[in-house]
Amino acid sequence: MTKHLIGLGLLLAAGIAYPAIFPNNLTIAISVLLFAGWATSWDLLGGWNGQVSLGHASFVGLGAYFVAIGQSQFGLAPWWTMAMAAAFAAILGYFWGWLTFSLRGPYFSLSTIAVAEILRLVAINEDWLTGGATGVFIATLPEPFGIDLFSRTAQFYMALAFAAVVIATVIVISRARFGFQLRAVREDEDSAMAAGIDPTATKLKAFMLSAALTSIGGGIYGIVLAFIEPHVMFALLLSVQIALTAIIGGRGTIWGPAAGALVLVGAGEMFRTTFAEANMLIYGILILVVVLFVPRGIVGELARRHIRRLYAKRAQS
Amino acid sequence: MPNVLRADGITVKFGGLTAVNDVSLSLGSGEILGLIGPNGAGKTTLFNAVTGFAPMHSGRITFLDQDITGLPAFKRTRLGFGRTFQTERPFEELTVLENVLVAAFLTVGRRSEAERIARSVLEQVGLADRAHQPALDLNLARRRRLELAKALAVKPKVIFLDEIMAGLNPPALREMIAFVRSLTAQGLAVLMVEHIMEAIIELSDHVIVLASGEKIAEGTPHQVTSDERVIEAYLGTD
Amino acid sequence: MAGIDIFLQNVANGVLMGGVYALIGIGLTLVFGVMRTINFAHGDFVVLGMYSAVLFNALLGWDPYLSLLLAMPIGFLTGVIVERFILSRVIDAPPESALLATLGISLIIGNAILLTFGGEPRSVQVSYASSTFSIAGVNVSMVLLLAGIATVIMIAALYALLNRTEIGRAIRGTAENRLGAELVGIDTRRIHSIVFGLGVMLAVMAGVTLIPLLFATPTNTGAVFTLKAFVVTVLGGLGNVGAAIAGGILLGVVEVLGASYFMSEYREAYGLIAFLLILLFRPEGLFGRTVKRV
Repeated sequence: MTKHLIGLGLLLAAGIAYPAIFPNNLTIAISVLLFAGWATSWDLLGGWNGQVSLGHASFVGLGAYFVAIGQSQFGLAPWWTMAMAAAFAAILGYFWGWLTFSLRGPYFSLSTIAVAEILRLVAINEDWLTGGATGVFIATLPEPFGIDLFSRTAQFYMALAFAAVVIATVIVISRARFGFQLRAVREDEDSAMAAGIDPTATKLKAFMLSAALTSIGGGIYGIVLAFIEPHVMFALLLSVQIALTAIIGGRGTIWGPAAGALVLVGAGEMFRTTFAEANMLIYGILILVVVLFVPRGIVGELARRHIRRLYAKRAQS
Repeated sequence: MPNVLRADGITVKFGGLTAVNDVSLSLGSGEILGLIGPNGAGKTTLFNAVTGFAPMHSGRITFLDQDITGLPAFKRTRLGFGRTFQTERPFEELTVLENVLVAAFLTVGRRSEAERIARSVLEQVGLADRAHQPALDLNLARRRRLELAKALAVKPKVIFLDEIMAGLNPPALREMIAFVRSLTAQGLAVLMVEHIMEAIIELSDHVIVLASGEKIAEGTPHQVTSDERVIEAYLGTD
Repeated sequence: MAGIDIFLQNVANGVLMGGVYALIGIGLTLVFGVMRTINFAHGDFVVLGMYSAVLFNALLGWDPYLSLLLAMPIGFLTGVIVERFILSRVIDAPPESALLATLGISLIIGNAILLTFGGEPRSVQVSYASSTFSIAGVNVSMVLLLAGIATVIMIAALYALLNRTEIGRAIRGTAENRLGAELVGIDTRRIHSIVFGLGVMLAVMAGVTLIPLLFATPTNTGAVFTLKAFVVTVLGGLGNVGAAIAGGILLGVVEVLGASYFMSEYREAYGLIAFLLILLFRPEGLFGRTVKRV
């Protein structure tokens, strides 16, 4: 754990220096950090707990809408609305999971699409709540300690803090009782029960935590975009992107989802001129490569090789 | 000997089929109860009903004077049940130590304490040198021991062993028999489903024989093996 | 119009729309029934069919129904190739692998079309696009009726194939019990290829049939169709080909009636809610045999 926390600390230090070194590449860095945070949050449920959700855009949307509506209609500062969004996302996750956790494997994934689509329809149609299909605009934001939250630098630091907090959460959980419960339920629910673990309660906790963390990133995303439309925030494609980022990077690993975000956002940027809006092509190709040749994902495969090498060494000595 | 576990009138039905019909059993601490019978006799079904992994149609189960009928399996584990699975079910992506940690975390919250428990259990079952090996890579005999380690790491008062001897070679079988005996010395009650008669005769204080879901005989190993109905039940199906 | 007439018109619209939904659903349900694979790319194959009709119309001036002659065999071959090179490698992996693989295929198809044709909606204008005729005071759209007829013909053909031919017997055997089928000498790998080919062919056919009615867009439409196909198959019963008709019609009627009597904005949601309810409480589908709970 210490090893991973030190690694995170070093990355954080590099991140803090980043805006001074690359002041013109902040938007893409924000994108990497948000996706790293979302994919890592997703992975708590999808990787560590084995419940593949294709509906996480709902929580991104939830966070963004809380921040935007809170600010534009009630004058509430984003930090309050993000906390509220996290609480609300956890509650939503609880009921969502309560409804769908009797389904297993691909059926659970299908049900998450259905729930997310219903939520998207609500966001589009309930004008009084969300401003409907036209969206909500964030015109003003408070300036805590004189910081302009509309500046890309401030937004970069918010995204950096978000990604760091999520990864730190996973590092701590991976060593703790909860982390073992998550993985046990993923591997074999009966065997987990034999170890005294309540599988449904474990999955619900994972879903709630995953949803709450994702929504906080959603709130930051709302500030970054400043203009929020339901088509963007609740899109099935965003859910798919989040899930694939984690799976390509390596499900159930600490650094996999973040590595996935770096690779996928980076590749998207590299091929931006070639593929233009068709940049999801990269996700399609990479997920096929992963499913066919590296089922554990990039970091998962590296970690497995590392463990085998270590074990081979110990066996020799 | 005081009763640790008591099951009365256990009946399990699947659709119209009665898999276990009105079977009762009781078990004291430090005691070994053997459950035998031909294939399809309902041993594993009874075993699963008692441990909470299969729903019962009727019957009552008490554990340390507490009625646990209808409690989900994981709650029974928390009260003091430990079990193995007939086809071993390690958490395959986890290492041997991590597998046992999952169970050890039931009684303690701190990682260091859980690790201490897990390592001592691994020492006990003779897997300490395999701690960091992926569970997927273990051979059959070691997977069995890992099952045992997981069952012991929850610090059970009664342990349920489902055909833990099957398929072991003679030296491994001797070791396993000695190991199960050593468990009772710590006051653990043992309920074992077993096909290997050698193990049943040597270990059991008491044996229940099931055939077609009914209890057809009960007594000491010597009594049941000379019982005519038992001999008939075995020969009749073989 | 009196209330009862409106109701009848609504039901008729729902049934006709349902015929189209059924056509979208059968391919998915056939593939699931035999291969136990949920094909996420199904809707994108429908869109591929739509674009093939657009292409044949632009290049050769063909009517969509004429282009079926080429589009269907091409669809079949595409399916066989995809199965051979991708799906056959994940069929024995954890069930999510196949889902993720088809999700990847879905993204590749949608975005490849986007690169080729651009993002603007495409359609094929036909003279009969808006023609209707009326039976007993109920207006019936020509295109929808044709699609409905195509559905019935397709399902009858599929039924005959499954029940009257040697290959159909092998397909049913594979669906029933893959290992058992192999023991009696059926090459289940070949059957899987054929079935996936048929699935894609049916999807392509649905797309071609729909193009006079709907605009095709590269990425969004695919996801919409995939969802519709899921709903249809889950309503009818996953893997039950005949029930796809019932599922499709049910979805069509639920949507149209829900939209006209409750809130029309939520038209899409009614099918999804029905889908969730069925998945949770009757996973074998309304018309399916009782199967093990998923």
